[in-house]
Amino acid sequence: MDGLDAVGVGPPTLGRSLPEYVALYWRLVGARARSQLQYKVSFALLVIGSALNLLVDLGEILVFFRFIRSLAGWSLPEVALLYGFSSSSFAIAEALAMGFDQFHRNVVHGTFDRTLVRPLGAFFQTFASDLGVRRVGRVGQGLLVLGIAAAWLGVDWTPDRAAMLVVTLASGTTIFFSFFVIGAASSFWTVQANEVVNIFTHGGSFITAYPADVLTSWLRRFVTFVVPLAFINYYPTLYILGRSDPLGLPDWVRLLSPVAAIAMVLAARTVWSLGVRRYQSTGS
Amino acid sequence: MAIIEVAGLAKTYRVARARGGILGAFRQLAAGAYQEVHAVAGVTFSVERGEMVGYVGPNGAGKSTTIKMLTGILVPSAGRIEVCGLVPDRQRTQLAARIGVVFGQRTQLWWDLPLIDSLELLRHIYRVPAARFRANLDHFREMLELDAFLSTPVRQLSLGQRMRGELAAALLHDPEIVYLDEPTIGLDVVAKHRIRDFLRRINRERGVTLLLTTHDMSDIEQLCSRLMIIDRGKLLYDGGLEAIRDHFGTERTLVVDLEEEDGELDVPNAREVRADGPRRWLRFRRTDTTAADLIAAVAARYRIRDLTIEEPEIEAIIRRIYEEGIAEGSVGSAVTVTPFSSV
Repeated sequence: MDGLDAVGVGPPTLGRSLPEYVALYWRLVGARARSQLQYKVSFALLVIGSALNLLVDLGEILVFFRFIRSLAGWSLPEVALLYGFSSSSFAIAEALAMGFDQFHRNVVHGTFDRTLVRPLGAFFQTFASDLGVRRVGRVGQGLLVLGIAAAWLGVDWTPDRAAMLVVTLASGTTIFFSFFVIGAASSFWTVQANEVVNIFTHGGSFITAYPADVLTSWLRRFVTFVVPLAFINYYPTLYILGRSDPLGLPDWVRLLSPVAAIAMVLAARTVWSLGVRRYQSTGS
Repeated sequence: MAIIEVAGLAKTYRVARARGGILGAFRQLAAGAYQEVHAVAGVTFSVERGEMVGYVGPNGAGKSTTIKMLTGILVPSAGRIEVCGLVPDRQRTQLAARIGVVFGQRTQLWWDLPLIDSLELLRHIYRVPAARFRANLDHFREMLELDAFLSTPVRQLSLGQRMRGELAAALLHDPEIVYLDEPTIGLDVVAKHRIRDFLRRINRERGVTLLLTTHDMSDIEQLCSRLMIIDRGKLLYDGGLEAIRDHFGTERTLVVDLEEEDGELDVPNAREVRADGPRRWLRFRRTDTTAADLIAAVAARYRIRDLTIEEPEIEAIIRRIYEEGIAEGSVGSAVTVTPFSSV
């Protein structure tokens, strides 16, 4: 326990209960929000910027819907369903992982030392250092597309499909979140590595907006078995649409998103611990 | 049982050897392209509860590395550490609840929020009971005179005010040990005085053990009875302050600017060691005369425009230790390390 505790991913210390952690999370996130509100002009610009971003995103979808009628055998609303899952889970993950997204600065400026002299795990402190509230628009947009696509397709929300919807959003968010954590942890080795991991976060959000059928077979295998991007939305969507994998994987594979999510969490946890350990032995 | 126990502590960094060009970058990946830097090379000491210890040395001597190992930020390469009965790097968060850390150059506070907000947040981070928090806050408000700027954003505080805030923040959770890294750096005389006064009080009244690093010998003289000098990763000296002061730290320098240029200054109990036009450096021993008497003596003979007194720098003391050595016994039994045999 002590070993895990030291690298900051261990169980709660000082006998803190889960509700206490939640309360502390909101307190710290609230402090961050109040700090940002100190700069009223830049905060206003941020809000305007986010709104514009949202408009651009919506425009992108309209253009997409207008010119493309079907894609690799997927109809327009089916692609929209994929996009809705990908977009909303990415946005939720990005909002929750905001502290990890900016984390490399802590290593560059040496402020990670301060994290290590506080009686809280480094992971929790980083998690609670920021919350991307302004991503709420993007989350809403993703969910909206998801809703419209499902209504258009006339999806029959049987209990198993409804459960799948929730499980998919949770798994997708977890997988994206784990990539953000791995990206943050990579800055313990080199700050440039952050850019490589961006391929899986921002790049992953791009690639999962389209059916995996459009990918070449080796890339498809890569996003299924190596970095499980296809489990963010592709396989669950096949299940909801009542389809089998066109490339012949057995039907139960479509149910494996939570397994992929757990695997990603374990991977992220390992990389984070190794990173903190490395920092503790090199001091930089 | 000592509160800090350190034995054979060492920290070796592997630093990539810089090589030019693309070929060099590839070579660096190969084994043997690293250079080993012994930041701390076998340090042994213990600190008793309630001590105030000065830990000094030139830049890069290993001070910060030692403190990072004592707090659990860094894992030692070799040796053993126990602080409050805990192993810092393995029981880091447990230990963190029992220590306080003040880095003079880096803030522990929330930069954009009022000072009181930082203290409230730390109260929850350290789980300080409400009554205890109230009592400590009241106490620190009075001792450090925080009221005038408690609701000012930290970024708008003067360095001295911020430092007082940092001290309050580091002590809110009643730590048993407080590490202070350059706590008076950049402060004016009044602010320094206030901070030293506070440190003395919390040491005396609350029994807090203090370990401070500083470049300012007067910090040490006014606060610490024990001094540890580290240089090139090794302890050069660990013992009473008097021994060092009597041998190496007694000579201070009075720098005077005269109204008009003159020949060599001739005043009793001091000798001119340097002259630069109207500016003169007079070295004197604490045992021979006081600064006030010397200034009076100079003023009686010459017209002075300006003056300052220079304290001996830690670097100068270390240089003299290397040059002259400290023979064991000559400075009392407290001395545990003799210099420069096999660095």
